[in-house]
Amino acid sequence: MTMLRVRDMTVRFGGIVALDGISLDLNRGEILGLIGPNGAGKTTLFNCISGVIHPDRGSIFFEGHSLVYAPPHVRARFGIARTFQNLQLWGSMTVEENLVVPMDALGRRNTFSDALYLPFSAYAERASRERARAILHVLELDRYARTLAADLPAGIQRRVEIARALAMRPRLLLLDEPAAGLDAQETARLAELLHAVRQRFHVSMLLVDHDMSLVLRVCDYVYVLDFGKLLARGQPSAIRSDPKVIAAYLGEESNQSTGETTTVVAAPKQAAPLLEVKQLAAGYGGLEVIRDVSLQVRPGEVVACIGANGAGKTTTLRAISGMIHPRRGRVMFAGIEVTGRSAERISKLGLIHIPEGRGLFPRLTVEDTLRLVSNTAGHEVDITPAFQLFPKLRERRRQLVGTLSGGEQQMVAMGRAILSKPRLVMIDEMSQGLAPSVVQQLFEIIRVFRDEGIAVLLVEQFVESALDVADRAYVFEHGSIGLSGAAVDLRRDRKLVAGSYLGTAVETPAMAAANGNEHRVDPALMEIVSVRVPAKVKRALEQRAEAEGRPTGAVAIELLEKVDRQ
Amino acid sequence: MTSRLMVRVLVTLVAFAVLARIPVGFDVGFKFDSGLAVIWAFGLLSLVLLTGYVGQISLCQATFAGVGAYAAGMMTATFHVDYIVAVAVGVAAAFALGIIVGLPALRLHGITLAIVTLGIALVFDRYVFQDHAFEWFTGGTGGWSVREASMFGLQMDSSKHLMAAYVVLLALFCLVGLLMVNLHDSGAGRRFRAIRDSELAAATMGVDLTRYKLLAFGMSAAIAGLGGAFYPLVAGTVSPQPFWLFTSLQFAAIAVLMGVRYVPAAALGGAFMAFVPDVLTRFGHGSLFGHQYEISYDWFQIAVGVLLIVQLIALPDGVWGDLRNRVRHARSTVGALGGRRVKVA
Repeated sequence: MTMLRVRDMTVRFGGIVALDGISLDLNRGEILGLIGPNGAGKTTLFNCISGVIHPDRGSIFFEGHSLVYAPPHVRARFGIARTFQNLQLWGSMTVEENLVVPMDALGRRNTFSDALYLPFSAYAERASRERARAILHVLELDRYARTLAADLPAGIQRRVEIARALAMRPRLLLLDEPAAGLDAQETARLAELLHAVRQRFHVSMLLVDHDMSLVLRVCDYVYVLDFGKLLARGQPSAIRSDPKVIAAYLGEESNQSTGETTTVVAAPKQAAPLLEVKQLAAGYGGLEVIRDVSLQVRPGEVVACIGANGAGKTTTLRAISGMIHPRRGRVMFAGIEVTGRSAERISKLGLIHIPEGRGLFPRLTVEDTLRLVSNTAGHEVDITPAFQLFPKLRERRRQLVGTLSGGEQQMVAMGRAILSKPRLVMIDEMSQGLAPSVVQQLFEIIRVFRDEGIAVLLVEQFVESALDVADRAYVFEHGSIGLSGAAVDLRRDRKLVAGSYLGTAVETPAMAAANGNEHRVDPALMEIVSVRVPAKVKRALEQRAEAEGRPTGAVAIELLEKVDRQ
Repeated sequence: MTSRLMVRVLVTLVAFAVLARIPVGFDVGFKFDSGLAVIWAFGLLSLVLLTGYVGQISLCQATFAGVGAYAAGMMTATFHVDYIVAVAVGVAAAFALGIIVGLPALRLHGITLAIVTLGIALVFDRYVFQDHAFEWFTGGTGGWSVREASMFGLQMDSSKHLMAAYVVLLALFCLVGLLMVNLHDSGAGRRFRAIRDSELAAATMGVDLTRYKLLAFGMSAAIAGLGGAFYPLVAGTVSPQPFWLFTSLQFAAIAVLMGVRYVPAAALGGAFMAFVPDVLTRFGHGSLFGHQYEISYDWFQIAVGVLLIVQLIALPDGVWGDLRNRVRHARSTVGALGGRRVKVA
């Protein structure tokens, strides 16, 4: 029985198509996974379902109600609850109060009777608090009931978000990256928790996460999005070995043979490392994103950082360049300890960081942007080297940076970097949102950087291309480095890298009854999330199930499917 | 729960008894200031609800008070109704305007909302309170003169019965303040605070943003209007000057200065707004160590600015808020030392 039915969902942001005709079905009692690389449109789809944004086209049906024009609170009353990727607890309230708000909001409560503490309100208040404590007990959050939500560490806050969503007595729970910032052990516990939640609270779930090991472990069925389109769907085991999915995550396997590309300038292995990072830990607020990251970059070497989203690559770069303060560990650059120094002082030493999104000023012209380098250099800088490297920029020197294409903007950022005569350039997600042909061009430039003796530290989504150009690579996993080695070796062992993205050793959930939309759901599970039927009908169902020797759930599903199809 | 309510009622009664006695020995000027202090305190209280609880910004609270004042003035001067009826009309008018002002707040946030409300304050200041087209409402350039009014049938002459007006105002303020403190901890208050902390989460957890934001603006405007509606009774006349744009800005500044989340801070701020300028003009000149000095009203503005900067650095939760937190902290520390569990109300 389909609970949520999304058809032909299309969302455009300006010229960008974030979702392009997505259709999706979710059954009662099912945990449906939604995965895809960065910018695939997962959160956009989520926001459409919870009503935070409105689609340009398409329809959403939830248990027979059309949701297209329903504001968020109406969807909440239908039984759709959600959690947020960037935690959205009400920080000034206690955990218990956080749970009481959605309960009250769904009951019909009167503002004036509330303010006057009339008996009805006082009674409802006590009942709500009682239920809140019961939910907290199940999620093992009892001892935080009276703590302010803002004072909790991020991992606990994520559990409280789930508890708050459950307080709405939802029928569908939308979970947006519940494993973000959790380490492998915590992720495993989360997977258990989600199964327990399904058993205890009888909810269906739609789960978005970058952590494939979680998605493949808990989900009954998985949809894969890429560039706003549906790339694949199937059971977790099938998804894991789907070549299209692997390609979307790792980039197309390049045609060049590994032998040709090993034109590695034999980096002097014994040379003292230019950048040395030891046991670095950093994070944001209560969230520790990286722990125990150690890496080295030697002069003139190209090093790639790869790994799933949220593994801590960007945070590592930020902690190195001084954009955020490291919590523990040391950063040495060119023999000088730079841990905790301000970003501008570090950049003066010759360590340039091109951040994700390129860090440009959209209202400056190309030429002015390049001339800005003189501020850091302290004297007027000749900007011709940048134009030699990127002849295209010479034509566009008077154009505003904001009006350039993404590839050209990246060229400006790289040109600006090279003008300051750096010793190390760190580039974050260079190819994000760019067409493959442009990406190839940019990777060529990285080779030019190396030939000029500039070391490069890359954070890259296109693993294949990155490993093509890099001498060595570090594979990030859950905020620390899982694997490292020569790029050539890592390329050869594609499965190894794929494992760090897609997770390993996952047992497939037990499956049984086939369903109208090809998903398979455990009929026993369907029973617990059973539709409310009159006792008479239920008895009839049970008799029939007994006669046919099948579980009642399976018979019920079959009948409902018939009705559903008509 | 109920015991906490009892404590609050008791504290309010004591505060009322003390505050009602304070201006008895004052001269007429300071008695007028006392009345004005409660009127301004209502304006600040309206911000406690709107900004402190719901997190919405408004720079036109004085406009709401002005609408209340003019509506009440019009009702007494033209229709000679009982003053309580005039107040009710003033509150209703302010509530209606609040709902209208709340409409853009459904879409706008932060600085844009501030600019829109500033625009509304400017429009009312220039084109309603001072315009001929609205003479029926504003009573022309002279405004309404409310020399004689009766409340519950009792004569309330503005010059002779200032204290009576003050006590009625104070009683109303204590009542509304008590309701506000109660509201904070109630279910409705939690929904308001949910909007303040995360609008996105509030909407997806079933809080009807349209309803609650409009309600907040309406209630806030009504509170400001309630104070404003007593202005004609206290001052004997209504003119545009007290409700101009700058008063709105002052409300915002002083609300933040005193602690925008706390009801008693509103009372403190109201007294500050009414008394300090008057004290400055009266006693702000003389000689000290042989030097002649003169402190004019302008100094008050500068003082507010400087105090605001100092407060934002030293007392981020406002004067009242920080003092309160410190007292609580000290109490719980003492309690821990004594090995007793201190119940924090």
